[in-house]
Amino acid sequence: MVSELPQAAPDASPSAPPVIEVAGLVKRYGNFVAVDGIDLSVAEGEIFGILGPNGAGKTTTLEMIEGLRQPDAGEIRVAGFDAISQSEQVRRVIGVQLQTTALFDYLTAAELIELFAGLYNVDGSPERVNALLDMVGLREKRSARVDELSGGQRQRLSIALALVNQPRVAFLDEPTTGLDPAARRDLWQTIRDVRASGTTVVLTTHHMEEAEVLCDRVAIMDRGRIIACDTPQGLIRSLGTAATIQASFVGGSLPAHALRALPGVTDSTSRDSQLELRTRDVQQSLVALLDLASRAGVTLADLRSAQPSLEDVFLALTGRQYENEETAEAEQPAPAKRLRRR
Amino acid sequence: MRPLLVMIKANLKMAVRNRAALFWNLVFPALFIIIFGVVFGGNEGINITVGITGESPALRDATVQAMEQTDAITVKTGPVESELQALRDGDRDVVIVFGSQPEQGQPPVELYYDETDGPNAQVAVGVVRQILLTVAQEEDPLQIAQTPVAGEDISFIDFFVPGVLAMALMNSGVIGLSTAFVAYRERGILRRIKVTPFPLTSFITARVVSQVIVAVAQALILVGLAKVLFGLKIRGNLLLILIAILIGALAFLAIGFAIAAVSRNVEVAASYSNLITFPMLFLSGVFFSLDSAPAWLRPISKVLPLSYLVDALREPMTRGQGLDAIWLDLLILLATLVVCLAVAVRFFRWEARSS
Ligand SMILES: Nc1ncnc2c1ncn2[C@@H]1O[C@H](COP(=O)(O)OP(=O)(O)O)[C@@H](O)[C@H]1O
Ligand SMILES: [Mg+2]
Repeated sequence: MVSELPQAAPDASPSAPPVIEVAGLVKRYGNFVAVDGIDLSVAEGEIFGILGPNGAGKTTTLEMIEGLRQPDAGEIRVAGFDAISQSEQVRRVIGVQLQTTALFDYLTAAELIELFAGLYNVDGSPERVNALLDMVGLREKRSARVDELSGGQRQRLSIALALVNQPRVAFLDEPTTGLDPAARRDLWQTIRDVRASGTTVVLTTHHMEEAEVLCDRVAIMDRGRIIACDTPQGLIRSLGTAATIQASFVGGSLPAHALRALPGVTDSTSRDSQLELRTRDVQQSLVALLDLASRAGVTLADLRSAQPSLEDVFLALTGRQYENEETAEAEQPAPAKRLRRR
Repeated sequence: MRPLLVMIKANLKMAVRNRAALFWNLVFPALFIIIFGVVFGGNEGINITVGITGESPALRDATVQAMEQTDAITVKTGPVESELQALRDGDRDVVIVFGSQPEQGQPPVELYYDETDGPNAQVAVGVVRQILLTVAQEEDPLQIAQTPVAGEDISFIDFFVPGVLAMALMNSGVIGLSTAFVAYRERGILRRIKVTPFPLTSFITARVVSQVIVAVAQALILVGLAKVLFGLKIRGNLLLILIAILIGALAFLAIGFAIAAVSRNVEVAASYSNLITFPMLFLSGVFFSLDSAPAWLRPISKVLPLSYLVDALREPMTRGQGLDAIWLDLLILLATLVVCLAVAVRFFRWEARSS
């Protein structure tokens, strides 16, 4: 299912100094612990994703790092500055897109960028404004007022505003939520361009596929904790499962013990005429399965195989199916995602 | 300095492009001036017909003489009953009845006027009063003839424009600011500013400066309009008038900030703003002098800040008075400013209340 492999970050080697370091971060709202002692380290130049269902604590975490919310415990360093005692310096070197797009009405895209350049006291010349508009693909909307922009265009504009000061780190809180698949893919490219321009990107998403395709490293967050943090491939590899094979039987069935004995297969389930195999080696298992079926005179229909995804990682780590309220509205699931164990 | 200037510039741009605000700040008060100006007379000044009757010949004759000097006044004399009847018939604007005990110091003087005549009657009574006071102070009638009587040609528009100006300053300060600021908070714009190096105090400063610039522009446009269309006359010191405008604008901005501070959302802010401005519109002497208002109403108007701004503008603009006539008004407006700022600071929140 991984159609677009993430490009390796230019200098995301473990030796690159972390641009963000977070240790033991806690945030409580009354008795409720929204962020429950998390540690994070983001390397210069990477696209770092915080992935988790709604309410996991992603926004709270991000906004504590940005200095918008006061942590109850923990330490945060951004670009070498202490996020709490040196928030002024931190604000100069970060760019922020908040989860709810907050733009002034009655100003055009270019005027807004100019305004923010003024607020940061950085270059706001027409050339610079145009360069930023180009970066987010809004050049032709230069003179359009904010209220004339579509949701996706506003998201882009607010990303441009987050880049006005050429930040060391850009924080993007659910930048693609609410976008249709095409707009989402465009935005992924924009975010890659941002990284290529030398800005580290920290983004949140509740989209498994987005994290997998876009991010160099992903922290999976659930109920205020980070339950895993690695490259998407590393996370999937940790499952120990390479793939799933699915099929339905026509004209008979195959015995479970024979299926489980196939080379590479780690687990098999068959219910009614539905078969599902987990395997370490798709090719080997598949050849053996087809051979077994033809010798038993059983036809296999709807034969499919799929790589495991972060969804499987989430399931394995939490024992819960990943709930993605917005899937239906904004995203057609990729074919492999149809592999539902229910 | 650049960040502040850039923010002020952006605020002004937004103010000019905000059609709704433009309507309430400019078109609405301008319509008031135009409609009332057309209905109640314009640049020719008013012509008041005064009936003078009763005893106390010395004072009466002095008054008749003083009034005949005034172009705007036509004097009629006759028996009490027929003069009052003429007033009821609409042939007199004011009837002055002098009492019968001239030896008891100040003779009682009664003024009759037609209440249904609206602002015109107010102006007429004001003018007549002014002359009577002057006459009563002076023993020597000859000197009266030489004294130019203040308000001799106060037209309705001269009386009306300061009130409309005060109303416009109130509306843009209270309604405009409170709803805009609460919207900024609700929509997360304040938080967005908070993650830039631009201090929120500068953000507020920029907002106040731009609102004051808008207020002065508002005043210039409305006054200019009244001057061109209806020949408005401004009698007092322009600097003093400008100071009154600035203090008034700031006082009402402070009220707007206080409302923004205690309002959960834009709807609440709009309701509070209307709740505060609407009664003031009618009880602060914007449209008519409160001299003739029922006695129970006068103390109410005394607690409404708009009364003081109306007075602070009308005294210098209409009657040519100086600082000595309005210092108390200005002081009360400043006190309003301080109290409301304290409320605003005490209750202000940068973030929308989380759901
Ligand atoms: N200001 C707040 N007051 C009280 N609870 C909050 C507040 N902000 C967030 N929460 C709660 O904290 C949890 C984490 O929220 P959030 O960080 O917004 O999650 P996410 O961004 O992952 O969806 C949620 O249960 C949310 O209801
Ligand atoms: Mg969130």
